[in-house]
Amino acid sequence: MYKYAVRRLLLAVPVLLLSSLIVFGLMRVMPGDALTALMGESGNIGERELAKIRKDLRLDLPYHEQYLLWVWQMVSFHPGDSIFTGEPIAVSLAKAIPVTLELAALAMVLGLVIAIPIGVLSATRQDSASDYVGRVVAVSGLSFPDFWLGTLVITFAAIWFHWIPAIGYVSFWESPLRNLQQFLLPAAVLGFRLSAATMRMTRSTVLEVLREDYVRTAWAKGLEGRIVVYKHALKNALIPVVTIVGGQLGVLLAGTVVVETIFALPGMGRLTVEAILFRDYPVVQTNVMLVAGTLVSLNLLVDLTYAWLDPRIRYQ
Amino acid sequence: MHDDLLVPLSSRLDRRQFLACAGWTGLAAGALVAGPGRGRAHAQARPAYPDWIPASTSPPKRGGVLTRASSWDPPVIDPRLTQSIGLYQFAGLVGNRLVRYGFPDEVSGPADLSLKGDLAESWQSSPDFRVWTFKLRPGVKWHNVPPLNGRELVAADVKYCFEAYAKEGVQSFTFQEIEAIETPDKYTVRIHLKTPNVLFPQNVAEPITVLFSREVLEEDGDLKKRMIGTGPYILKEHSRKVKVVLQRNPDYFDKGRPYVDEYVILSTPDAATRMAAFRTGQSDIIWLASPSEVETIKKTNANAVVQSYHNTLAPFGVALAQDKPPFNDVRVRRALSMAIDRQKQVDTVFEGHGILGWGVPYIYYQDKPLTVASFGPWWQYRPAEAKKLLAEAGHPNGFETTLFYYEYFPQMTSQVQLVQQDLKRNLNINVKITKLDYTTYYGRYVESKWDGMSWGFQSGHAVGLDERTYQYMHSRSTKNFFRVNDPVIDDLTTKLRQTPSVADQRAITKKIVDREFDQVQRMWMPYDNGFVVFQPHVRNAAAGALRRTDGYGCSAVARVWLDK
Repeated sequence: MYKYAVRRLLLAVPVLLLSSLIVFGLMRVMPGDALTALMGESGNIGERELAKIRKDLRLDLPYHEQYLLWVWQMVSFHPGDSIFTGEPIAVSLAKAIPVTLELAALAMVLGLVIAIPIGVLSATRQDSASDYVGRVVAVSGLSFPDFWLGTLVITFAAIWFHWIPAIGYVSFWESPLRNLQQFLLPAAVLGFRLSAATMRMTRSTVLEVLREDYVRTAWAKGLEGRIVVYKHALKNALIPVVTIVGGQLGVLLAGTVVVETIFALPGMGRLTVEAILFRDYPVVQTNVMLVAGTLVSLNLLVDLTYAWLDPRIRYQ
Repeated sequence: MHDDLLVPLSSRLDRRQFLACAGWTGLAAGALVAGPGRGRAHAQARPAYPDWIPASTSPPKRGGVLTRASSWDPPVIDPRLTQSIGLYQFAGLVGNRLVRYGFPDEVSGPADLSLKGDLAESWQSSPDFRVWTFKLRPGVKWHNVPPLNGRELVAADVKYCFEAYAKEGVQSFTFQEIEAIETPDKYTVRIHLKTPNVLFPQNVAEPITVLFSREVLEEDGDLKKRMIGTGPYILKEHSRKVKVVLQRNPDYFDKGRPYVDEYVILSTPDAATRMAAFRTGQSDIIWLASPSEVETIKKTNANAVVQSYHNTLAPFGVALAQDKPPFNDVRVRRALSMAIDRQKQVDTVFEGHGILGWGVPYIYYQDKPLTVASFGPWWQYRPAEAKKLLAEAGHPNGFETTLFYYEYFPQMTSQVQLVQQDLKRNLNINVKITKLDYTTYYGRYVESKWDGMSWGFQSGHAVGLDERTYQYMHSRSTKNFFRVNDPVIDDLTTKLRQTPSVADQRAITKKIVDREFDQVQRMWMPYDNGFVVFQPHVRNAAAGALRRTDGYGCSAVARVWLDK
C-alpha cells in the first residue's frame, strides 16, 4: 500500500502541472487585467502611469517568465501577494481556508447525519411510506439550488422569527457559540443538498447488499435485524458512498461561493470568485492549485479508505 | 458604483397594491402630475414618501453603534488607487477634505449644494481664478495613533498630499490642473492652477479628495495597510469581506461630534441578506431600488422611515461610436434616440419610480427635474419620424450593429433588451448584444477601442459641476468616455470654468445640456430613483442629491445620532 500511495503521489505531479498550465493560460486569455479593474470608473490614469504600475507588478514580463516565476513561488511556498489588495496570498488563505473548512465539515456532518439513517431506513423498508418520504426528500435536495434555498431560509428566518445569524464572521476561537450560530443555517443548506446524493446512494447499495448471500446467511443464523443491517450490510454498502462523499468534499471546498455570499462568510469561494472578477492572477492561480491538490489528495484518501472498509481490496 | 441596486424587482401586482394603499391613506394627495400623455400610470407622480427628511430638532444624544449591511467591500484602502464606493463609503469619515458639501442638518434640502469649510475655514481666488488661497482651520489634529500621534495638521500636509495625488494614481486628473502649491505659513495653502477655474473649490470638495498623511506613505511605501486621517472616526478594524469598524475620534476638531460611538459596516453582498439584516435590526440603513421592496420591508418594519430618493442625473446611457460611421451622422443618432421608448422603461423596469435620463445634474441649471418636453424633439418617442430620418441618412433598411454592457444591476439587462427590441421594431436595426463581466467591459469601454454601441457610464462619485461638464464632455478629457468631440461643447465647458457668476454658470450649463440633447451626444437611458430606508431611531441621515449618506456622502454620518 505504501508503494501504491507513493506512485499515486508521483502521478499527481503531471496532473498538477497540467492544472497550473490551464489556469495560467485561461487567466491570460481573459480580457482585462487587475489594473483595469482597480481603476474603477475613474478613467483618470494615463498610459504612462499604467505602464509603470504594470512593470512594478511584473505584468509586463513575457508569459513564460510570468509562469515560471509563479511556479517557483508555488514550490517554494511563497505564493506572492495579491495584485489587487497587496495582501500576501498566504495571509488571505489563512483567513479564508478555516471558514470554508468549517462550513464544509459541518455541512458534511449534517449531510451524513441526515443521509445515512434515512438511506438505510428507505432500503430496509423499501416501497413503504417512509421510503417514499425519504426519496422525495432526496430528490428535493438534488433539485433545490443553493441560492434559492439559502435566500428562502434567510428571508423566512427574518420574517417568522425576526432572527438571522449575526452578520460579520466571528471565528470559533473568538466566540464558539456565535460562530456556530453563524454556521448553522449555511451548513444546513449545504448539508441538505449533499445529503440527497448520499441518501440515494446509501439506499441503493444497502438494498443490493441486503440481497447478498452472506446477509441471507446472517438472517438464517437468527441474528437480530439491527446487527445484520448495521454490522454486516452497512459496512460493505458504504464503499461507493465513501467515493461519493470524497468527491463531495472536494466540490464543497471549491463550490461554496453561493452559500458564502448569501450568509456573508469570507471563505475560499468568495475569495476565488472575487479574484477571478478582478483578474487577480496570483490569487486565482494559487486557489485553483490548492483545490486541485486537495482533490488529488482526497481521491487518494478515498482509495486508501477502501482497504479499511473491505479487506479483500489490495493495492498492487 | 451601483452595486446598491443589485436587488431583484418584485412583481408589478405588488406595486399596484402598494400604490392603491398609498392612495387610500392620502399620502400621495395633491401630488398628481400629468404624465406625457400616453395614458400610463406614473408612480413617480405619486410620492408616497417624502424626498427629504429634515434634521431632528431634538437635542442630539451621544453614544450607540450605527450598523449598516453593505453590498460593497473596499478593494484597497489606498485612496490614490481607487474611486470605488467600497472605500468611499467610509473614507470621508476617516479623512477630511479642504471643502465639503453641507450635511443634512445644515442644508435646506437634497439639492442644496452649498460649500462649507472642512479643513479650510475660508477660501478665495485671485481675480483671474488661477490662484486659490485656502486658510486652514487651526488646531486640527491627526488621529492619535502612531506614527501621527495626534500632531497638528499644517499647510505642508495639504501640499504633500495633493502633490502625491497628482503624481500617481487614479485621482491624478483632478490634481494635475495644479501648477504649483505654496505654503506661506502654517495655515495657508496657495494653489496655482494651469488654467483659470472658478469651480476649483468644488473639485477639492469631491469625496475622492480626502487627505492622507505623509508619515504613513513614507513609512509603508503605500497606503494599503493603514488609513489615518483627521476625520470624525478612526479606522479601528478592516477585515476584508467581513466588516469595517470605525471608532469615534475623541479629538475631532468639530467639538462634541460625532455623536455615534461606533459605525460598523458589514460586508453583505447578497441583497436578500441585507433585507433580512434590516428586518431583524442588524442594519440601520438600507437602500432599496423599487416601491415593491419598500412595501415588503414595511410589512415587517412598519416604523421604518423611508426617504424617496430622486436622482438628479442618470449615470448610464447608450454610448455611440460617434467618431465612426454610421454614428458620426447626427441624423442617425437622432433617429435612434427617437426610436427608443424611454417612458416604457421607467414604467416597466423601474415600476414607475425612475427618471427618463440625463447626464448633467439638472440642479445646476434649473430648479425642477426635466419634463419630457424639455428634452427637445430628438428625445420624444416618435418611431415614424425616426424611420424617416434614418432613411434620409442613407439607411432606409436599417443596419447591423453591436452593443456590449456589464450588468450593474438586474434591471439593466431588461433595459438593454428593450432598446434592442425598439431599434429592431422601429428602425430595423439589428443589435447584437454582448454581456460582459465587469473587468472586460470596463477595459474595453474606457480604452475606447470599440465600434457600434456600448451601455456607457459616467462616474458615480462626482458632485461638482466641473466634473459633470468639462471633465466628462471636453474632447481632451481622459474621462470623455462617450467620445464627445464638439468644438461648441469644448468652448462652453471651458467658458463655464471661467464664469464666476452663478446665474451665468446656470445659463451656460443650460446651453451645454441643450447642445448635448440637440446633437444626441450621450444617449441617456432611464434610471431608478430608489429609496433610503432607516430604522426609526436614526436621526440626521437623509441622503442629499449626488451624495448618499450610505455611499459617497458618508461624511454626513458625523452628524447622525441615534434616538434610543
